[in-house]
Amino acid sequence: MAQQAIELRNVSKKRPNKVIGPLNLQIPQGYVTALVGQNGSGKSTLMNMLIQLTYPEEGEIRWFEEAHPDGLPLTLRQNIAYVPETSMAEENFWTPPEAAAFRRHWYPGWDQPFFEELMNRFEIPRKARLSKMSKGERRKFEIASALAARPQLLLLDEPSSGLDPFAWRTMLDTLRQYMDDTGATVLISTHIVEEVRRLADYIVLMHRGRLLGMTEKDSLFGAWNEVWVNAGSEEELLELTAELPGTLQAKLEAPGVGSFLARHFHRNEKRLQDMGVKVIKSRSLELEEILSLWMEGYHPDKD
Amino acid sequence: MWIPIQINENSAEPLYHQIETQLKSLIISGTIAEGTLLPSIREFAGDLKCSVITVRRVYQDLEVQGLLRTKQGTGTFVSHVGEGAMEEYKRVAVEKALENAVDTALSVQCGEEELNEIFRKIVKDKYGEAK
Repeated sequence: MAQQAIELRNVSKKRPNKVIGPLNLQIPQGYVTALVGQNGSGKSTLMNMLIQLTYPEEGEIRWFEEAHPDGLPLTLRQNIAYVPETSMAEENFWTPPEAAAFRRHWYPGWDQPFFEELMNRFEIPRKARLSKMSKGERRKFEIASALAARPQLLLLDEPSSGLDPFAWRTMLDTLRQYMDDTGATVLISTHIVEEVRRLADYIVLMHRGRLLGMTEKDSLFGAWNEVWVNAGSEEELLELTAELPGTLQAKLEAPGVGSFLARHFHRNEKRLQDMGVKVIKSRSLELEEILSLWMEGYHPDKD
Repeated sequence: MWIPIQINENSAEPLYHQIETQLKSLIISGTIAEGTLLPSIREFAGDLKCSVITVRRVYQDLEVQGLLRTKQGTGTFVSHVGEGAMEEYKRVAVEKALENAVDTALSVQCGEEELNEIFRKIVKDKYGEAK
């Protein structure tokens, strides 16, 4: 596997009413890793730890294969851009050019022509104060200025919330192009399944402060099927599903027709044929459904 | 550029295999001409909604087979497809389709004579149409 951009080893963080962790995770360099999970599952806390806005009580975090317990060195910080879930209030009274001038001071790699190009591409108003902008406009400014710093690592906490569908597509294209040009690493937390489908290489699922796992996105292709078969009775259906590994939710849909969910169905389809069972129809579950099953404890990769 | 690849989510065929087979036939059939610059791995992955890992694997495989070549810093191009490869591809594609047809005939206990007769009739009808 490629070099790691980020590595977490047994990282735990206590919050007033919950514990995040222990987290063990490796984020490979040069890929898009999508962090998904319900509200409050710990995604933002994880992001905050990666930029040292908060520190874990236990465990170790490594950036580009090195730990920095005494604080991230400036040169490393200058290579990380972070788009927080809610924009920092400090920049509220500035216009985009003023805020850009401030950021330019801290990021020596700041690419002003690229920033101008992104301002145009995203149609961000130049004269408005950041606090007076719409949520989507402010978001576009945040994304543009994160990229203009030319970082090696982008931490994006729900970057697309508030974006209209056109700006959203522009954002995806821009991110892709930036990665093509620079080989940068992206960690993006999102609730939008379509964003995962279009952008992610790896998926990390968080649930109630824990990591349920990490998987290559395409390994989820065909992970689960919904299958309809001929079955005379509920007993017959249950007998039949007992013969197949990884089946769930078997039920009689109509007289003579039963349905169930099957993991890696195509590997086991022949067994059904051998039993003389007629498959009426089958469909692959959508990514969203696969993720919900995973949250319920049904890991897509295991048999 | 946009490459007309259609992914069938309900197919038993693995994603990577679907992409490779279709891209290969687009190249060998000449639909994508020699020298064409293919999309970058990340761009193509975005179009197909798959990961760069899958697209990279497909590009690498087709490079090994001599259908693509990568120029450092420029991108991945369609190589010269020899006459031989084209003929070979045609033969394999037709053979495979005929094998499937014969398997179907066997599964419904259709005799050799009968099958030959059906085959000749279809050939006559279809080639007649084509003229």
